[in-house]
Amino acid sequence: MAYATQMAPAGARSRSQAARARLTAYGFLAPAGVLVLFFFFIPMILILFLSITNLATTNFTTDVLKMATSQDPRYIVWGDNFERMFADAYAPKILFNTFFYVLSTLLLFNVGLGLIISLLTTHINRRAGFFFRALWILPRITSPAVYILMWKRIVASSPFGILNQFNELLGRPEANYFQGDPWVFIVMLNGFIGASFGMIIFTSAIESIPKDLLNASLVDGSSLLQRVRHVILPLLRWPLLFVITYQTLSLLTSFEYILLFNQGGAASNNEVWSLAAYNRALNTYFANAQWGYGSAFAVVLVIIGVVMATVYMRVFRFGELVAEPKIEVL
Amino acid sequence: MAASAHTSQMRSLNVEELEYQRAATGELVGQAVFSALLVLLFFQLGVILFKVLEPLIRSAPGVLGSGLKVEETLTRAIASALTLLAPFAAYGACGARLRGLAAFDRRRALRVALLAGAVVYAITAMGQWVFQVGPFAEKPSLEMSFEQTADGVLITGIVAGGTADKAGLKVGDLIIAIGRAPTDLAGLKEKIALSAFESKIGLRIARDGEEELVPVEVVPVVEIGLAPLVGGLLLALFIAVAAVVWPGGLTPYVLMILIMVPLLIGYLWLVVASFSYRTEGLLPVNAAGEFGGFTLGNWEFLTRAGTSSNPSIWTITLNTLVIASLMMVLVLLVSSMAGYALSRMNFPGRRSFLSLTLILHGFPAVTLLIAIFFVLRNVGKVPIVGDYFGFNTRGGIALVMVAFELPLGVWLMKGFFDNIPWDMERSALIDGASRWRTFWQILLPQIRPGILALGIFAFISGWGAYLIPQTYSIGTKTATLAVFISQRTSETAPTNWNELAAIGLYQMLPVFIIFVFAQEYLLNIYAGGTKGSS
Amino acid sequence: MRIMLENLTKRFGTVVGVDDITLAVEDGEFVAFLGPSGCGKTTTLLMVAGIYKPTAGIIRFGERVVNQVPPKDRNIGMVFQSYALYPHMTVFGNMSYPLKLKKVSKEEQMLRVQEVADKMGIGDLLDRRPGQLSGGQQQRVALGRALVKQPDVLLFDEPLSNLDARLRLSMRGEIKHLQKELGITAIYVTHDQVEALTMADRIAVMNRGRLEAFDAPDDLYDRPKTLFIAGFVGNPPMNFLEVEVCQENGAFYAVNQGLRAQVPPERGEPAARRGGRVILGVRPEDVTLADAGEVRGSVFLVEPLGRDDLLDVHLDAANRLNVLADPAAHIRAGDTVTLSLNMQRAQFFDPQTEQSLLWR
Repeated sequence: MAYATQMAPAGARSRSQAARARLTAYGFLAPAGVLVLFFFFIPMILILFLSITNLATTNFTTDVLKMATSQDPRYIVWGDNFERMFADAYAPKILFNTFFYVLSTLLLFNVGLGLIISLLTTHINRRAGFFFRALWILPRITSPAVYILMWKRIVASSPFGILNQFNELLGRPEANYFQGDPWVFIVMLNGFIGASFGMIIFTSAIESIPKDLLNASLVDGSSLLQRVRHVILPLLRWPLLFVITYQTLSLLTSFEYILLFNQGGAASNNEVWSLAAYNRALNTYFANAQWGYGSAFAVVLVIIGVVMATVYMRVFRFGELVAEPKIEVL
Repeated sequence: MAASAHTSQMRSLNVEELEYQRAATGELVGQAVFSALLVLLFFQLGVILFKVLEPLIRSAPGVLGSGLKVEETLTRAIASALTLLAPFAAYGACGARLRGLAAFDRRRALRVALLAGAVVYAITAMGQWVFQVGPFAEKPSLEMSFEQTADGVLITGIVAGGTADKAGLKVGDLIIAIGRAPTDLAGLKEKIALSAFESKIGLRIARDGEEELVPVEVVPVVEIGLAPLVGGLLLALFIAVAAVVWPGGLTPYVLMILIMVPLLIGYLWLVVASFSYRTEGLLPVNAAGEFGGFTLGNWEFLTRAGTSSNPSIWTITLNTLVIASLMMVLVLLVSSMAGYALSRMNFPGRRSFLSLTLILHGFPAVTLLIAIFFVLRNVGKVPIVGDYFGFNTRGGIALVMVAFELPLGVWLMKGFFDNIPWDMERSALIDGASRWRTFWQILLPQIRPGILALGIFAFISGWGAYLIPQTYSIGTKTATLAVFISQRTSETAPTNWNELAAIGLYQMLPVFIIFVFAQEYLLNIYAGGTKGSS
Repeated sequence: MRIMLENLTKRFGTVVGVDDITLAVEDGEFVAFLGPSGCGKTTTLLMVAGIYKPTAGIIRFGERVVNQVPPKDRNIGMVFQSYALYPHMTVFGNMSYPLKLKKVSKEEQMLRVQEVADKMGIGDLLDRRPGQLSGGQQQRVALGRALVKQPDVLLFDEPLSNLDARLRLSMRGEIKHLQKELGITAIYVTHDQVEALTMADRIAVMNRGRLEAFDAPDDLYDRPKTLFIAGFVGNPPMNFLEVEVCQENGAFYAVNQGLRAQVPPERGEPAARRGGRVILGVRPEDVTLADAGEVRGSVFLVEPLGRDDLLDVHLDAANRLNVLADPAAHIRAGDTVTLSLNMQRAQFFDPQTEQSLLWR
């Protein structure tokens, strides 16, 4: 009996305590939650909605409710934007550009160059290696505006262009890089930034390879290249897969540098899908903003993004979620 | 690494030495040439791309719309890289093959390398001749020779039956202009070099005191000068020999620097240009186009007073500073709180919150830019809040950027908290602290390096941000330095590149200082909290 | 402060950490929780501290049920294995932190910290940071921090396992001494049985989340109630042999293939009553080399321990005995020896239930 009488108040207190504990946790999460709500969830719903409207400069409003209900002018056009997108004369080219841009930047630079740098810098003096890797961070922290400023001068025509100055020194004819081969430079200037991501991941993976393993293969009389081929690369399988998936997604949606370099060029020559969405909806340079049509382009990427991010989370991180906290108060 | 490689060499030395002693010089040359030939296969590949694939692509109808074709550019780039570099790599490869021999008989190795280098060069040159690339490439020509005189360009020789002969030019004619434009020797050469095959150049010539316009067709001609051939041979021998004696430890350094050249020249230009009147390539020049022209004039923007339409640099700097600092503080505060809750607290929905953070971490937020435009517009309609966090406000811009960095920040912070021993926090709780106090007084001070790293990262990305400030601000009221710089490169007005370089350098200065002092933190943070992935 | 644990149970998901433990720690008593790692002893301690919430059962401090009382209101002091000193605070900062949180005035903080620090012999280290201290000093700071708030209960989570052997020995005495002097109820978690046997008034032996025994050290050693306790307590561990106990002419004998030893009646009688095969337990120190011994065996291995040699003697294919021998005897592997068992201290266990046949 004494047992029961003492348990009752304890139980009641337990409920209120549990509620307080939850409140504390949610209190810590609240600021992040609000930001996520306003800048991820609401926009995600909004962009789906915008993609079925014909919102443009001519019928501009920010009133979402009005867009949904107004009959005059009528905003909701359902699938028209998507029909138009599939019929767009430039769409196949933009799609092809996107594939080309993502694949070549990814393979040549984000993975290829990243791997080369990490292999080179882990096989030289430690401090020198660290110094070189730090230098590769520089383009990443340089403002895009300044970074593109430099590249524009590198590719400019004579007498200002730096490459053309080299051409002149070597007695080669002048070349019009900016208009002639913009892709080479778009891939390159993006790649020089992207390479550092792979570099960091691969470097830490290489450095975490047990020294015994390398020593064992040394004792077996392997050459440097054989060690890279048979010891290091096989152990980099997961980091490689990670860099490829992660960077594919980020390249697919990165357009800032192309926008600054040549806005996608004439006749969508260098336009990628994400830039196409931006140019149609938000680029003031093109005067007529078509938010509805641009949203249709963006929705494609939003869907790809959600799917790939989910897959990526499942493949790479799910195991880490299992660990439970080891304190149970408040 | 070098030392250990050396020991492994020592171990197998005896066997190798015997082999080398037994081998005849011819046999060794054969081995070296063979490894060079393997590399030359890439040259072959380049030639095929250049000669077969590229014309095919060029002549194919534009399936994907008009204009420049991606595949054409790509083919050309790869082909020229292969044909240019493969021969050099081959000479290097044939020298490198002999490094084992050089370890105990350097003189013999050098002799063999010279022989092998010559053989490989001969093979390469033959290949270049057959496929008409490199020094044997067809160049546009008028099939005549000429020299500069005081009056104009004097024709000194005509190839019989050549295009100049057919057009009716004679030795002794004086070329004074191309069409109507007067020309000199250099101009004429450049005109010919840039002309397409089968196009015509109208040469205005003076013959016997009379002027006459003679159209001459440009034809492809292979001119084989002795100089490039001999030069090529010497270069080949030099590379082969160098590859034998080259200290292997230096290779990674040289490669590293070579790879970085485009970056280095970019930053070099930025510095040179900001302190000079004008630049031609990397050379600072003065108004007359001669070397020199160093000036501090580009930095006058620092003292220029602002107007309402054209604010001073200090207004812009303040904008940038406010946005960057706001971003730093908010990212740190919000993500450390959320990271703490996810790392150390148990509550219903914890797993969902964690997976959400991860999905958002992978999700490309830029795809939402269009919709966020409308979110900010509507936030702007809310009284008071809208004045600080709406469209075209510094607060609004900062908030969007905070939100974009948040998934990364929360994930990183969770990782930092995960690494603090549980006993530390238990101890604080037993000492009588609340969870909030434990977070603030015990845990936060212990992840100071992490906070520093994330803070620096947030500040730098806020300081240099272009896309979001550009998208969500109008005019110059809320412009950041990056927006300011890019606005000044608009194609409608002439750009003062040198002043821009100075502004760019000014913008980079704080970032660069941070970079010098905090490289280590930055290197860690740009891995994006991916420790658990590998 | 008397502490009662009643049917205390803790589950993590489906994993049972602590399984239905009931025990009482008397006021001023020093109790050790002893067991192999993962046996649930630390989990129990953390429930007493309030860090973990029990899944079922009741924890009482005195008469008060503290299940839902947060740690800060339990007035406990705790010393952790890793010491858990706050690295960004000085020694003074660490020790005064609990007082600061109790809103004790600055002057009194100074006084009380200085007093405890002097007692701990770290009075001159108050301005240092934990990183600048040796392991032993850190240990003292952690103990001081736990004591300075004048707790009702002191909890220790393997506090000595990070110290070197000599320091461990001296700290053992100090902790015990302090606890008795201050008269604070203490619970001490350890996997080191020497620590538990020398320091504790009573020892709670835990295994796989269950309480195996809760007794004074002597009782555990001399009167083990289960086979587990017998094998777990004591180093080198007790020898076990399968024997049959039979009565002949009023005397009891433990018999197997190569053994026939007389057992005193008060021990032989319960074993004989059980009948059939039982497990005989003899500690290594109760086996001696004797020419007129009951058992013969060949020495398989000799491990010099310093004061003694530990012999591994094979009686036959299945049975072996650990024996402590005088190094002066110069026994070598391969020698044949005769052994005598001190059956006055023999233990008998039921092979099925693994319970002692002598003690309840």
